[in-house]
Amino acid sequence: MVDNIGIVDTRNIISAVTESYGIDMSDYTFTILKRRLVNAINTLGSHSADDFTDKIRRKAISADDFLYVMALEVTEFFRDPSLWRELRDRYIPEICRTADSRIWMPSATSGDELFSLAIIIAEAGLQGKLKIDVNCPSDKHVELIRHGGSYDQKKIEVSEANYTRYAGKTQFASYYTLNDNRASMKPALLSDVTLEKQADILNANPGKRYKMIVYRNKLLQFNIPLYEKVIRKLVENLEIGGYLIIGNMETLEYSETSKKLQVVNANEKIYKKRVD
Amino acid sequence: MNDYKAIMIGGSAGSFQVVSRIIAALPANYPLPILMCLHRLKHIRSGFVEALSIKSNLPIIEPHDKEPLKPGRIYLAPANYHMYIELGNRFSLSTEDVVNHSRPSIDLSFFSASYNFKKKLVGIILSGANKDGALGLKSVTDNGGLTIVQDPKECQVPTMTTASMNATKVDYVFSTKQIIDFLLKLA
Repeated sequence: MVDNIGIVDTRNIISAVTESYGIDMSDYTFTILKRRLVNAINTLGSHSADDFTDKIRRKAISADDFLYVMALEVTEFFRDPSLWRELRDRYIPEICRTADSRIWMPSATSGDELFSLAIIIAEAGLQGKLKIDVNCPSDKHVELIRHGGSYDQKKIEVSEANYTRYAGKTQFASYYTLNDNRASMKPALLSDVTLEKQADILNANPGKRYKMIVYRNKLLQFNIPLYEKVIRKLVENLEIGGYLIIGNMETLEYSETSKKLQVVNANEKIYKKRVD
Repeated sequence: MNDYKAIMIGGSAGSFQVVSRIIAALPANYPLPILMCLHRLKHIRSGFVEALSIKSNLPIIEPHDKEPLKPGRIYLAPANYHMYIELGNRFSLSTEDVVNHSRPSIDLSFFSASYNFKKKLVGIILSGANKDGALGLKSVTDNGGLTIVQDPKECQVPTMTTASMNATKVDYVFSTKQIIDFLLKLA
């Protein structure tokens, strides 16, 4: 079991990942990246950082497996219940007033945020009124989410409590089925969703203008230069008047591109695009 | 004594009164940043800073992700995020899974702060009901920093301080008053 890796190990792995998979992680937040790499080393059965680096260089670990274990999870459904209430009661109905409205979720990993969004759309009676385009970092994520995900009891308990605080219209249990003590959300919730693999958001080119982009707690992974590039990508794909939603302790303060946005809800970190 | 760059405090059950006493004793011109990782309810985002601020002469802030660390401020790890200090003295936050049943985890905050500040960090563990923080304090020792635990005899719940003393050879076992006196001497 590997407990920790140093800067040199981290740099060697970053270099191997770039060479083998074409993914540049050199501008990822160091502490988070280091912890995710330690997790990947142990989960993918390597006994040391050098062994792991070697396996990546030889492509003995597939890019898909690597990206699957590296993904940063959101960790609970209806995290920040007040945000989901706001979306259900105000913002989702608003964007549904226009025909062909689309929402983009550029980096779904465990599916918590996607299923939370799907539930509020269903509870607002707006299923079928909009489309949600979702990118996942790996094919494994796509398949997992397509089949409803797989969640342990602890996560479901936390999520039940969040759902109650959100003031949901039914029982959270009505949205999932249990099998061997693991919960899967009902795939019918995803009737408005298109799932597609996209490992790197900077390569994403959805070619659409979105009414809403949900990208919560994902900017945490990036150092400021990459954070700026990602925000630019998000804003480019947002309609004027469309909404960008980030995590409640994230900020756009260090981004030049954020001048194109105005804050419409500071507590829930909802921004509206002002200009192109 | 004056070479320290930051002070990190970890605490859980029974630490609120101790933290309140410590921050009330620090003057408005206290020069070092104080980084606090205290166990708190995950789903309650507001109220903790306000409660602590009542007696504080220094601004208390829940840092946003990527916020630069500044002297003369008290930083409190926000609810439901792990709080790290990155090289270059910026905060980073993470939604990774709970560690020791906790998010924020004291261990994780101490790991990153001790890696960043090395021997220039003072680590303090207060009253608490689980072992989170023990390995974190050990990392402060391992990186050459200075370690203090609240005297277990004074702690409402001594599990955290006792675990820390078992995990590493701490430099000082202090009462709350002695912790305050020590911090004032660092200024």
